[in-house]
Amino acid sequence: MGGIQKKKYERGSATNYITRNRARKKLMLSLPDFRRLCILKGIYPHEPKHKKKVNKGSTAPRTFYLLKDIRFLLHEPIVSKFREYKIFVRKLRRAYGKTEWSAVERLKENKPAYKLDHIVKERYPTFIDALRDIDDALCMCFLFSTFARTGKCHVQTIQLCRRLTVEWMNYVIASRALRKVFLSIKGIYYQAEVMGQLITWLVPYQFSHDHPTDVDYRVMATFTELYTTLLGFVNFRLYQSLNLVYPPKLDSKAESELKEVEEEDYAMNSESHTEKLSALSSSLARVVSSEEEEEAKLDQFPDEEEDMEKMEAREKEQKQLETQKKIFEGLKFFINREVPRESLAFVIRCFGGQVSWDKSVCIGSTYDVTDETITHQIVDRPNVDKQYMNRYYIQPQWVYDCVNTKMRLPVEDYFLGVTLPPHLSPFVEEKEGDYVPPEKLKIMALQRGEKPAQQQDEEEDEEEEEEEEEDENEEEEDDEEEAEEKNLKKMEEQRSQGKSLQVKVTPGKVKAENRARLEQEEKAEEKRLAIMMMKKKEKYLYDKIMFGKKRQVREANKLAAKRKAHDDAEKAKKKKARK
Amino acid sequence: SFKMAARRRLKRVASSQPGFLSFKSPSDTTASVGSRRKRVNKNKKKNWNKYSDVNDVDEFLEDIRHQERTTGGLLSEKTDDRILDSQRNHNHKAETPQADEGKKRRGKASRPLRIDLILQPDSLVPPPKDILAYQQPNAKKLRRIAQKAEQLAAKGVVPRKQKRLLNRRPVDKTVKKAVTEANNNPDRDYYDIWGQVFPLWESKVSADPWYLQQTGKKLVKRPEKLNEKPSVLPAVEVIAPGGSYNPDFFSHQALLQEAHQVEVQKKKQEDKLERQLAINKEDKATEETNLREQVEGLDNDEESAPSKEDEEAALAAIAVPRKSTQCSGEPQHLFIFLKVLVKFRRLKPGAFSHPLHLPANPSAFLLHPILFQLRSIKASIRQQEEKTKSKQMQRRAKQEAQKVQPRRLGKLKFQAPDLDVQLSDELAGSLRQLKPEGSILKDRFKSFQKRNLIEPRERAKFKRKLKVKYVEKRAFKEIT
Repeated sequence: MGGIQKKKYERGSATNYITRNRARKKLMLSLPDFRRLCILKGIYPHEPKHKKKVNKGSTAPRTFYLLKDIRFLLHEPIVSKFREYKIFVRKLRRAYGKTEWSAVERLKENKPAYKLDHIVKERYPTFIDALRDIDDALCMCFLFSTFARTGKCHVQTIQLCRRLTVEWMNYVIASRALRKVFLSIKGIYYQAEVMGQLITWLVPYQFSHDHPTDVDYRVMATFTELYTTLLGFVNFRLYQSLNLVYPPKLDSKAESELKEVEEEDYAMNSESHTEKLSALSSSLARVVSSEEEEEAKLDQFPDEEEDMEKMEAREKEQKQLETQKKIFEGLKFFINREVPRESLAFVIRCFGGQVSWDKSVCIGSTYDVTDETITHQIVDRPNVDKQYMNRYYIQPQWVYDCVNTKMRLPVEDYFLGVTLPPHLSPFVEEKEGDYVPPEKLKIMALQRGEKPAQQQDEEEDEEEEEEEEEDENEEEEDDEEEAEEKNLKKMEEQRSQGKSLQVKVTPGKVKAENRARLEQEEKAEEKRLAIMMMKKKEKYLYDKIMFGKKRQVREANKLAAKRKAHDDAEKAKKKKARK
Repeated sequence: SFKMAARRRLKRVASSQPGFLSFKSPSDTTASVGSRRKRVNKNKKKNWNKYSDVNDVDEFLEDIRHQERTTGGLLSEKTDDRILDSQRNHNHKAETPQADEGKKRRGKASRPLRIDLILQPDSLVPPPKDILAYQQPNAKKLRRIAQKAEQLAAKGVVPRKQKRLLNRRPVDKTVKKAVTEANNNPDRDYYDIWGQVFPLWESKVSADPWYLQQTGKKLVKRPEKLNEKPSVLPAVEVIAPGGSYNPDFFSHQALLQEAHQVEVQKKKQEDKLERQLAINKEDKATEETNLREQVEGLDNDEESAPSKEDEEAALAAIAVPRKSTQCSGEPQHLFIFLKVLVKFRRLKPGAFSHPLHLPANPSAFLLHPILFQLRSIKASIRQQEEKTKSKQMQRRAKQEAQKVQPRRLGKLKFQAPDLDVQLSDELAGSLRQLKPEGSILKDRFKSFQKRNLIEPRERAKFKRKLKVKYVEKRAFKEIT
């Protein structure tokens, strides 16, 4: 017995954690600097499992960090830079106070600065890691690039964000990576597939900011600082992968075309290049002069049959994708001035369309309204005075819906002044048995290559009727079987009673064997048997799942019925209005 | 003594001469006459120095020096016309300024002006010389050093000072010191950091690991755990389909319903709080209660005395609770309760003692009823196992659910932002008329908080250290 007495809070979780204030003191940093450091290095507070133990008996709410994380922070070279900066600020303030302008000048020249390159490399050891975390970076950069230059953050940061986002959009255009677009009330959601990773980002509508007061701008600026570095490196790598020149340059052909336009009207010489890039209207220069890209074919390994099947499926998918990437190929768009130019230009160019706008809207327009070869003009106003015969005047939603459905939708629903069909979210994926709005059903039918919209409704109705009939048929057949069984039973009873049977020979009927039906029955039988053979526990689980499914179906049916009622009511209203 | 002799001689020479004019009147002679002469033996040098009167000589000499300094020689030796000349000049200056000057000017331009001549110093005493202007301190030493340096230079030896200067590296003024540019410089360049070699770490990777370890320059490995994300939530949560700018009717309704639910919850909370804070109406003082309070103890007797019925009723009221307490405390009831308990135990043997508590004696074991309880024991074990399993499942499910929940990271809890919803009449028919809802900046900020990247925080409130004192100045006080 005996030994050293164990003391409380000297081992276990109490020693694994450190409070924020102690961590800050250990690093000799002020709280804002500590926060910045943690954000940059990717060290986040941690909630301990047993707070009271960690907090040494106290229940006061505190922020905890893992001690090992903080120890890791001690090695960071940026910490010393932060301290240097603190001293720089002190000296500068002093010089200002003493009105020593030469000293101020000298200090400002030697302002300490730091780089985040090594942190990016450390946090994202491979390129794919970085790509997986690029969503946040894109959101922040797109957000900051739309800020007004009013002093909420550094103007330089805004410019850098703008540059990076333009580079990103140009990459997405060049690689045709865009998959989904969703116009929401918040902003525009985009989804692109880059190197096998699905990347989603949110772009605010232009001029939509009222700066909220309950957001810590310093924290957001710190995140942006890290993310601009990350996005820049990712952009570089992506441009490299496509053999594009980085920093991006316009194609020499495109550039010469653009030069004809008076540049000075739009921007100063120093800025005109970036402005032209951000117009998104022309393609980028490549390292190797652009020859027709060889279409990369999937390698074939004729090994096993299953693999072959898979390969075929994949090839088919690939082909589909290729066609989807070209839905606007050969179309010439003209964007009216009341339509959000950047978003539309981006989407159209992502799918191979040509796009232009009025000269006074933005730099980089390639053709005029009067161009006879324009196929679609995107307009968002009730009517247009002068209309050309050989082009469609459509509302902007058509473009986005086409992208989401991966095909060219019929234009009729999107003409001028027509009430638009609802803009459905492409991010919703319905499971089996979920309620699917009829608009989506229509679109799905279109995708399958069935007939266009108006006949579809009728057809659907017909289909439903047919289904009902089939059901009825099945029931009839069941009835017949039951009748036969009854007959047999009767006969047996009679036999058992010892009566002589009334035997008759009638010419046999040929039973039409329905093979498909038989197969189905067999399958159903097998399933039933399988269910019977289930263990109790599994059975329980199975029942539960089935119950859930049924409930889902029930709910979906309810919604569908509701919708029908709603539609009927609307129709009735319309009829009344007509009368 | 030499000085003295000179004085004497001059005195004798000049004052004895008939035409000598002195500047000062001989006043001191009368003074000396008045005083009685003291007899002193002048056979000693000391007495000579002490008692011989040399004032007059001194004065005379001073006078001579003065004359030499100012007039350029003794006045007595000068010719009369020269003296007059200078005096006349003084007179004429005022009288004939221009008449004769104009004539003279024309012919003899080269001659110096008369005024200049007059103003020329005619003192016999030259101005004192500034010796230091001509002399150099340490001249000799310096001269010698210079000679030595010349000799060495002839031999080709460069002095140390110069050598040091020559050895210093030339500073190129044109090339600026490489300044690390700011992080947010819009023209900054990027490179391939995921390539073969990362330039910043190149030296650390290629150098000898032992050396790096010993010198403390080794690259610190990032803990693996830091690469895990603190939450499983996606970075960008796409808004529900009802948030489309032109939504499908039902999905819009669903979103509205959701928002409605949130509002109802909030309202409930508020109501609850209000209810808890509300004052009970019975506790409020009315006039009646106030009066009763004031009269308390004064007319208690009067009130109780008049009606005997009231008293009885009150007594009965007291009696009833007393009865009830008696009943519950009765030992009979306790007895019944215990009886029931015993019965229950007999019926359910496993209920109060653990089935596995075996008797210590093995012979007793055979007789022990536990032998016949094996089945029930097994059943109970199975039950227990099932219970633990279900609890495990529950716990696991809870843990999974918590991964999605924001953790409590500080003083404040995470508060979900309001749902962004547009009511049916707010929905714009077209993209042009769309009025965006909510702020993306806030959305992003909340997302960071939700994913446990930053702790929820309130904006720091401004706190005044010293109290502000308001004083109305007297001048204003009079007006207002």
